[in-house]
Amino acid sequence: MQRLLAIAWLTWKAAFRFRLFLVIAVLLLISVVGLPVLVKDDGTPQGFTQILLTYTLTAITGLLGLSTLWLSCGTLARDIEECQLQLVAIKPIARWQIWLGKWLGIMSLNAVLLALSGACVYGLLYWRAARLPAAEQAALREQVLVARGSAKPQNYTAAIEAETEQTLQERLKANPELSHSADLTEVRKQIREQVKAQYQLVPPNYLHEWQIDLGFAKNFLHDKPLQLRVKFNAAQKSASGTFLAVWQVGEPNVTPLWQPPEGPMSLAPDTFHEFQIPPNLFDSKGVLTIVFVNPNNTSLLFPLDDGMEVLYPEGGFALNFARGLAIILCWMGFVAALGLAAASFLSFPVAAFFSMAILVVGLSSGTLADAVESGTVVGGNGETGAMGHSVADAVLIPMFKGLLVAINLVKSFSPIDSLSSGRSISWTELGTAFGQIVLLLGGITGVIGMVLFSRRELATAQGNQ
Amino acid sequence: MPVAELNPHSQTGNHESAEIVVSVRGLTKVFKDFWNRPKARAVDNVDFEVRRGEVFGLLGPNGSGKSTTVKLLLGLLNPTRGHIEVFGHSPRHVQTKSRIGYLPEESYLYRYLNSRETLDFFGNLFQLSKGERENRAGQLLEMVGLSQVHTRAVGEFSKGMQRRIGLAQALINDPDLVILDEPTSGLDPIGCREMKDLILALSRRGKTVILSSHLLADVEDVCDRVVILYGGKVQAMGTLKELLSEPDTLRITTPVLPRETLTRVLELIRHDVAADTVRVDNPTQNLESYFLEVVQKARRAAAETSGAISGARVAAYLRAGAEERPPAEKILERLALPQTAQPATAPKPAPPAAAPAVDANKLEALTKAAAPAPAKPAAAPEPKPADLSKADEKLSSLLGKPE
Repeated sequence: MQRLLAIAWLTWKAAFRFRLFLVIAVLLLISVVGLPVLVKDDGTPQGFTQILLTYTLTAITGLLGLSTLWLSCGTLARDIEECQLQLVAIKPIARWQIWLGKWLGIMSLNAVLLALSGACVYGLLYWRAARLPAAEQAALREQVLVARGSAKPQNYTAAIEAETEQTLQERLKANPELSHSADLTEVRKQIREQVKAQYQLVPPNYLHEWQIDLGFAKNFLHDKPLQLRVKFNAAQKSASGTFLAVWQVGEPNVTPLWQPPEGPMSLAPDTFHEFQIPPNLFDSKGVLTIVFVNPNNTSLLFPLDDGMEVLYPEGGFALNFARGLAIILCWMGFVAALGLAAASFLSFPVAAFFSMAILVVGLSSGTLADAVESGTVVGGNGETGAMGHSVADAVLIPMFKGLLVAINLVKSFSPIDSLSSGRSISWTELGTAFGQIVLLLGGITGVIGMVLFSRRELATAQGNQ
Repeated sequence: MPVAELNPHSQTGNHESAEIVVSVRGLTKVFKDFWNRPKARAVDNVDFEVRRGEVFGLLGPNGSGKSTTVKLLLGLLNPTRGHIEVFGHSPRHVQTKSRIGYLPEESYLYRYLNSRETLDFFGNLFQLSKGERENRAGQLLEMVGLSQVHTRAVGEFSKGMQRRIGLAQALINDPDLVILDEPTSGLDPIGCREMKDLILALSRRGKTVILSSHLLADVEDVCDRVVILYGGKVQAMGTLKELLSEPDTLRITTPVLPRETLTRVLELIRHDVAADTVRVDNPTQNLESYFLEVVQKARRAAAETSGAISGARVAAYLRAGAEERPPAEKILERLALPQTAQPATAPKPAPPAAAPAVDANKLEALTKAAAPAPAKPAAAPEPKPADLSKADEKLSSLLGKPE
């Protein structure tokens, strides 16, 4: 451990002596203090706070990610190129310990920088909140500066898939020639969308009912108000820009019923809306029944994944904020491992370019997902709708699938979204993030880096360049 | 090339039975290009062994494979073929590295650390306690003359000062095997002498030293055995005595003789050899010794330098055991250093090629004839006995006073 700490301490020394720490700290502080001046919001304290949280945390993540990548590539590659590692490697320290020591040094540096900038964001939020009227402060603490649990309708994926398959088989039975002439993948995709629409769509003058199981949380939600977070899309535009929404929450004859006292709400499409509902509207099993009536003359569509959500208070903002920062630190852990792994076998500029390219590929996972979904890397024919195929698909599509699995291990967490929407980041989520991002993905990257570094000849001509 | 010169087991008498510290057999290193095609054969089928307590020299011109061999010994390069054992293990064996100290040819230190932080960092890698690190760092900085500038970043040091701190880091663990790559490169004459004194002090403590150099004087002054490399191959190997002595010539050194005695001696010699093959002159000290003497005098006159302050004591933990012999013996030994090397470790340079062979009986007669002259060891001529105390003082300041 003494050796590991010595290497980590060396990283700190370098960061301070080269003024890297100072520069990054100043940039982080500028982004935290300067962004609130530039951002535009919807005029509400909640909206401003949400945007502030989103922008500042995104800026911190981006800045810290870049500096981590740069530092991790530089600290190892430059030590090799400038031959300092020759003197270290001949001491009684294993190569993997040198690698891990560098990683620990970078991570401890990141932790301090993240804590510093996080504390500034936190302080700024509460300082601004304290200057608001009491009612707005209360609303802010209920909707943003809070850790809220979330419950969503049941997952209909399996049901949709079953129904899709059944519909497809029925149509093939009715039209056997389709099995030879049609692109079944495309047909299945279209049927799936139709089936899915049945679960999402609310035609004019129809109602839609959601039953949301609050699960174990029901035990501590008695007498506590809940929040509904809804979002819908409209088939047509409205002249006023909004649509009427009639809500009823509760099970008739079982629980109290609630309807908005002000009558139908006027809500804009394609945006999230939150409104509070009174306590104790769920039944003894913890199921909350929500009914929506569409009085408009156009269909409204509530997306399955985020169209309807029940939010309930679960904890304080401070700890939630800390957990969110901890997930960002997990991301940095992977970025540091990636940079160090690249520097284990490449020179500094090439390692920086290589790891940057990996990150860009990771951030463009949407393109990969599209290719995987369509089963080909070549585009389709816009007129006929037929998809093209390439021999490269045999190699690239499985590779893209593998990449997507890895990318999703990292991207399946969204602490910034959660914090800005006042949703709880549980300890389980943090633990899962640590396991998936740091231990699994970072671990695999680290092992590859350590093996490459251990096998590398540190005194070759390349190393001296 | 004589076969005996390539015998890897050729040892000095003191080390024949000693433990083998480094064993190299059939060592070959071929550097390859990007396409894995052979680019350069830096080391070619090299064999040698180094035993405990030896000062072993790797000698050769630039590009002969010395530094590559050293880096192979340290595990910084992987051999293409052949076998290396250091203390019976692979050079990559982590625990074995705790017994090795290495001074590279260039300063490979972290430029942003100061000299004390540098030693503290490397001390941590050897898992030394905080107290031990501080103690050793203090002694080493004193030894290499950097205690006054211990807060300056290493990157601000001159080359010579960087060599000094490099040496200090190589000794932080009190290593059993010290590998020095061009150790006197960048050092002033005082630093060179201190380096050589240090090597001899380490050797006296039973430490093994491998010295890579192209400076013949360095190797000649301190090495027990050398291997001469050229083109990556061993060209010659053996003790300096084996390699340098000319058994068919003889040199006699005496105090100044009266003219009539000298005439009689020369007559006796010329009786057996041609007159033009006999030479009589005054021995001269080498430039290094003269330079040291001048500088020491200047220092005593309170002259100051702006850089490293040289000539401090060898760190106490490095001297431990080396000073167990009687002080008188050490002083004599030290007195021998500036002008002639110690008989066991650094044989005198070969006599001039023109020196004649002398019959043993004649030599005996000659000795008897010169009996009135003061009895002095033949290997340690000292024309000015009155300067003994000054020389002792000078060397004591370099190596530390006898205790």
